[in-house]
Formats: sequence, structure tokens, C-alpha cells
Amino acid sequence: MTITWILAEDTAVADLVRAARGLGHEVAAAVVGSHDLAAAVAAGGVDRCIWFGEPADNAIEAFAGAVADVVAAGGPGAVLAAPRPASRALLGAVAARLGAPVLVGVTDLALDGDDVVITHDVLGGVARRTERCSGAACLVLDGGGVLESGDMVTIEETSADPMSVTVIEDRPSALPQIDLGAAKRVVAIGRGLRAKEDLADVELLAKAMGAAVACSRPVAEGSGYLPKDRYVGVSGRTLSPELYLALGISGQVQHTVGCRGARTIVAVNTDTDAPFFRECDYAVVGDLYEFVPALTEALRE
Amino acid sequence: MTVVVAHKWAVNPQEAVVAADGSIDVSRAKPAVSEYDPVAIEVGRRLADLLGCELVGISVGGPEITSPMARKAALSRGLDRLVVIADESLSGAGASVTATALAQAVRAVEDVTVVLTGDSSVDEGARMVPSVLAGLLGWPTLAEVAAVSVTDDALTVERAHGAGSQVVRVAGPAVLSVAADAAVPRVAGMKDILAAGKKPVDVLALSGPLPPAPTVVARSRIELAQRAGTRIDATDPHAAATTLVAALRADGVL
Repeated sequence: MTITWILAEDTAVADLVRAARGLGHEVAAAVVGSHDLAAAVAAGGVDRCIWFGEPADNAIEAFAGAVADVVAAGGPGAVLAAPRPASRALLGAVAARLGAPVLVGVTDLALDGDDVVITHDVLGGVARRTERCSGAACLVLDGGGVLESGDMVTIEETSADPMSVTVIEDRPSALPQIDLGAAKRVVAIGRGLRAKEDLADVELLAKAMGAAVACSRPVAEGSGYLPKDRYVGVSGRTLSPELYLALGISGQVQHTVGCRGARTIVAVNTDTDAPFFRECDYAVVGDLYEFVPALTEALRE
Repeated sequence: MTVVVAHKWAVNPQEAVVAADGSIDVSRAKPAVSEYDPVAIEVGRRLADLLGCELVGISVGGPEITSPMARKAALSRGLDRLVVIADESLSGAGASVTATALAQAVRAVEDVTVVLTGDSSVDEGARMVPSVLAGLLGWPTLAEVAAVSVTDDALTVERAHGAGSQVVRVAGPAVLSVAADAAVPRVAGMKDILAAGKKPVDVLALSGPLPPAPTVVARSRIELAQRAGTRIDATDPHAAATTLVAALRADGVL
């Protein structure tokens, strides 16, 4: 019997479970992480929860081979993973073991007989393709929000022999962890923001709006204003909030592909020809440095 | 010890023309060493210099990757030599097919300490090739790598982890995907380009079976949601903010 697998190293896999359930097969999760994570996944709507034990100081990636063994022996059809670095390491090992294709940017999944039919964005979101896989298929789609808790299935612990990938120093961020995938409103900043200190005004706006703060790729690189798990776009997050407010983001396709699912998009830019203005509901032509404080004030009224 | 760095000869999809039937024409786009790969080459060059070993570039793709322009573009960035596998079946290939050919190229290099890759390719941006490659080689893989050093048989790797970072010890060899901001790549000068023409290039024939590719059943352009693009002039920021807030409240998104 075909089993749909999800790979989970974080609780932000609600959309993976939803997509897997939609296929109608039994859904099994391979969980690499703490017992708390395994418990959250076991209560998150799957039929089976295979847990690889407490990782101790092993990196998640150390379990890639072990996960591939278990999934390969478990009758895999579609194997789903989020685009996070550790998830991709696990999925790559599974794809290698199965000799299966890997498709990213998945927007729709269906079954046709025993085949999985996948619609996904190609070439960084300039076009879309629907493809049919007759065997196993490894699929990457945004994990979405954190799992909600429901009926719990048994956690099946399996012994694993991890590869030698050991965390010798952990430097967690002082920034709070946010559930970007579940945020109803998102304020995203781009290169229009000139200095890290200016982020304070954006945070005030986000607070007044009840929004999470995200960014475009360049903001998470080099300048390092925000961590890399906050950038939206083709190789980052894909979000579908009710409101997406883009501040000083030009709107190249590599970014907009990550927010096209938003119900309402507002773009703020000084450049009247910014590509984002062709893909938004409201095009605010102006300087974000003047507009952001004004908007914060207007929201408080 | 040998440091290997993989790169892709690719076009920027910004230059692609998508027809109404969803077919993609990239014939007018100019291929180049993919956007983030020079960063990986730079990290590889510095590591190879520290270790006093060779830096070998590998690349797989369609027949065009063996052109003198493609060879020099990569070699002039600091590689000592190049191993390429060019085959029609690798043109526009997916991650599993590409990784299978890259694994063959890696196996053709002796005593590999580490395989470095860029953060993502400019065309597909799938970020999956390094981990499939690692899976095929049976090696560990880490992504978003900011720094790497080698002591004895182990790699010490600093990588982004969630919003923070970690230092990880890996018993090598391993496949490491280098963060886009891990180094500032050098700009090749005329001397580098001339020297690149004299560096060795091994062109290997693709051998062994490739994993099956899915069957394409439909292609389409991206149908964008119809969005009004209502202009709001923010010359007066306060008036613009009031207008926007009223509109968003009326839309029920605030």
C-alpha cells in the first residue's frame, strides 16, 4: 500500500500534513528532533509517527541516512518536506535512496490512479508545470504554520545510527521565534531600508498592525538585518497572509512568488515603475521613511 | 586532500520569455556562472590555499557548458582545474538527475575532503541538488554555511540555524552549501582569464543510468490574481496613511 510521508524537524509543518491528507493515502511522519516535537506531530493529524529518538548533540542532518532507510522501507508515494535547510538534507537523502525526482514550489497535489500529479512553479516562479510521477516523488512546499493539536497517535521510536555531524556550539538568536507561516498580516522590508536601526520603526508599525516582520532576500544577507528564516521568495518562505505590506521591495519575481497567495498586497516604493506596483492591490508611491510613522499613527487612531 | 566546488552554467529567469502556452524561451538569455556559485569558488579557493591542496571545479549540464567561454568563466575565478560532464540529457535537468551526474564527477576526483556548492541556482533555485548529491555519496550535508575549516579528518562548520547559528563538527567528507554572504568573490582580471585558458579540463562522458524524470502533462503561465494596483500618492504621508487604513478596513484585512 502506498504511504504518503512527511519529514518533520520542526512543528511548522501544518501545510505538509494538510497536503498529505488531501491525497487520501495513509500519512506517516518521520520526525527528527525532541520528544516534544514528536508529540506535537503525533497529535497533528498524521496516522503514524516514527521518531528517531532524542538527537542529543547530533545535528538533524546526521539522521538523513536513517530517515532514508525508514522511508524507503515504508512504501513511499509522495514524500513531503518544507524548504528549511535541515528538511532539505533529509529529503535529499530520501530522493537519493529512492532514485526519485524532486519537485519544488509545489502549489497543487492530486492522485490519478497510483500516480501523483504535481503542479509546481518552475524557473523561480516564471511559469508553472504539471507533472506526473508513477513512482515515489520528493516534494518541497512551504511548511505553513505550527501544527494544531488533535487526537494523538502512538509515537513509534526507532533506533537510528546517526552520521558523525555533531553540534559543538549553539548560538541561538536573541530574536523571538515567530510563526511566520501562520501570521495573518506580514510587514516585509526590502533594500529600501537603509540601516538596521531603522528596523525599530518597522517593528512599531508591525505591532500596531498585529503583523509579523519578514523581508526580501538581500535584507537577510550581507546586511543581516533579519535572520535568513525570515526572507520571502523562491528559495525562502511562501506565505499566504490576509495582508502583505511590502516596504521598499522592488518586486522581482523571485520575491513576489513567495507572497502571491496573500489576499491583499500593499507595496510602498519611491519608484513609480517598481515591478511590485503591477502585482499589488494598493500602490503607495512615497518614501517609506515618511510613510511608516504616518501609517503607524493612523492605525492607532 | 582535495577541495571540490560545484557550479552551474545557467541563465537568469528574469531574461526568460514565457509564451501563452507556458513554454519557456531562454534562447535570448545569456548563461553565466550561476549567481551564488562564485561565492562557493571563493570559499573553496581560500580553503584550498590554507590546506595547500588543489581546488577542483565540477559542473554538469547540456553541451554548452564545455564552450571556451563557460570554461574560462569558471576557471578564471580561482579553480585549478575543471571536471565537466556535458550531455543533452542534462539540459534543464531536475535536482535528482543533476545530482546523479555530479556524483559521477565527484567520484572521478581523488581524495575529496569536501564538496562546496553555492546557496541556490539562479535558474531553478530549488536548493536540493547538494542534499541529493550527499545522499548519493552517502555523506553528510549542511546548508547556509558561513565558514569552514579542516583539522585532521574533521570539518568544523559554522552555519545559520533558525534565527541563530551553530558550530558543527563533521567527520568528512561532506557536501556543504555555502551561504550567499559567506565571502565576497574576487573579480577575474585579464590575467586570470588568460591563465584560465591554459588550465586542464577533463570532459567525462555521462555513465550509468539517470533517475526517471516525471512526465510533463501541462505547462502554463502563472495566472496572477487580478489586483487593482490602486495608486495612493504619499506626497502627504498622513493623508495617504489615512486613505490606506480606511481602504484596508473596508476590505476586512485590518
